[in-house]
Amino acid sequence: MADDAPLRLYRALVKNDPAAAISVVEQVRAEGAEPDALLDSLFAPALAILGGSWADGSINEYVFTQASAVSDQVLSFVTPPRMAGDTGITVLVGSMHGDSHDIDKNIIAAALREAGHRVVDLGADVRPATFLQRVEETGARIAIVCAQMVATARAVVRVREMFVSDGRTDLVLLVSGAPFAADERLARAVGADGIVGGAESAIRMVSHLARQRRGGGSAS
Amino acid sequence: MIERSEQVRLAESLARQGRIAPAVAACYQALRVNERDPLAHCLLGGLMLAEGFCEQAARSAARAIELDQRCAAAYFVLGLAYDRMGGLWDRSILVWQQLAEVVPDLATAHVQLGEALAAASFADEAIDAWERALQIDPREPRAMYHLAVSALKREGMATALPGFRKAGELDPSQDDFFFALAGYDAEGLPAAAMSDIGPGIKSQLRAAHAFAANDELFKSSELIRSILDGHSDDVAALSLMAYLYLKQESVNEAMACSLRALTISTKTPTAVYALGAAFARRPALAAHASKLFSALTTMAPGQAMPHVLHAESLLGLQRYSAAGAAYRSALALDPGCVRALFGQAAVALTAGDHTAAAWAIRRAAYHDTRRRGYFWGPYDAAAEGGEQ
Repeated sequence: MADDAPLRLYRALVKNDPAAAISVVEQVRAEGAEPDALLDSLFAPALAILGGSWADGSINEYVFTQASAVSDQVLSFVTPPRMAGDTGITVLVGSMHGDSHDIDKNIIAAALREAGHRVVDLGADVRPATFLQRVEETGARIAIVCAQMVATARAVVRVREMFVSDGRTDLVLLVSGAPFAADERLARAVGADGIVGGAESAIRMVSHLARQRRGGGSAS
Repeated sequence: MIERSEQVRLAESLARQGRIAPAVAACYQALRVNERDPLAHCLLGGLMLAEGFCEQAARSAARAIELDQRCAAAYFVLGLAYDRMGGLWDRSILVWQQLAEVVPDLATAHVQLGEALAAASFADEAIDAWERALQIDPREPRAMYHLAVSALKREGMATALPGFRKAGELDPSQDDFFFALAGYDAEGLPAAAMSDIGPGIKSQLRAAHAFAANDELFKSSELIRSILDGHSDDVAALSLMAYLYLKQESVNEAMACSLRALTISTKTPTAVYALGAAFARRPALAAHASKLFSALTTMAPGQAMPHVLHAESLLGLQRYSAAGAAYRSALALDPGCVRALFGQAAVALTAGDHTAAAWAIRRAAYHDTRRRGYFWGPYDAAAEGGEQ
């Protein structure tokens, strides 16, 4: 990156010229600057110059405000996107039939979505047949079934039976909920491949499965 | 207006000095003189509650309400006593509803009502109550925290996080922290008249901080401008200006001022704070905010707030267990940190630990009611016959 790039960006900002400012960013990017480093190496130094010019009176309050407004437009060009990129992994998430608890399911689904996975939220009180049907429709290979009561947790075995009866032994069944957290044997008994212990655990497990699948074939 | 007996006045005075045992004795003395004195019962209830004797507090408060159905402070004591005893949500809901009828514009009554409703699993009604609290007082942080937790339960962290941040900004502890970093006690910073400010940069800076602490942002920025006209590299002035811009939602201006300050001196905690807070307002910059707040935990050891801010930035990065650890660090330094307790509840929810979340929220409510001294406002209003 040319040494004077922050100064050029600063000049574009005070000239109230968003196009010129973005052009500086694009030039620096074209010169091979890492996208993740643009904020620290270009944007921040330019804003520091801007702050200094306002402080020493080189520019007045009006120009400072205008330049700051332009910098807001430039910011999205120097920051990584808020959401992670699409991982291509489709995950079914739903609460077991007879279980209307949906808080854990909502939090897990949102976290996976934010982590870039394609989440199909089936809602609460989902019948085992619906899991299979939606697996076929979406091509998902991971299903997370949430259950907060012992009876509904035990009933998750019907989801696994449904998958097996359809010959879908390749599907990964993850379970989540207090009964599984309290007794890991219950998860094994219902044929689950793992226990999701919350949002972070869901992200970790799905990412791990995605890496495994990438090693062995299709990702979704 | 309720006539106050001499014994009640004595009890009040002792209670305000924190001399609980003699205050309780004075209340009993007042009741021996007149058992039908609602203020004596109410005050006794408040004292019992403060000491953790919830059943006795509830009995005294209920008697006060029997004697005076408009005694808002007694409803407060009764509602809080039921809340703290736990498992009495039906009674608690009734009390808070009655308080909301007695004093319709009391935001806290709706916040408490929402908590009781939520505890009784009336989630939608609880949200209505917290929204009503915010309509009455848009600066009510606890209602905002609760709405953020509700958003987390329904739509996940990405939706909830701005609510947590907003609640944090409404919470006076964050402003107090900035002034503490600058070397001032926010409460000991009374705003002076412009004409009383001395010519030296030190007194001008102090006055600028005092204006800012008293929400006189325009006067504060005017003073900073004059400081910078003579000393454009003054990092304290630049950092305070960044803080003022943040208060006005001018995030990029805040970034510019704090970055300038940090160019001059990287070891300026107020600038690190202001830049971190500016980055935290941009979700895509959560990682940058996290680095700065992490550095701030070292620059301001012994302070809970940098850990809280660090934790919130980690929530934005989906690093929930690390956020939990940061909240624990904050609570180790300040067990009554309401913001950290709500954050801890959020982390517990992301791990599916609803019991821990409910417990953290109850502790947050407990500490919030204690730190804000809810009792005396309605009590004084009842004693003086005024409105809340």
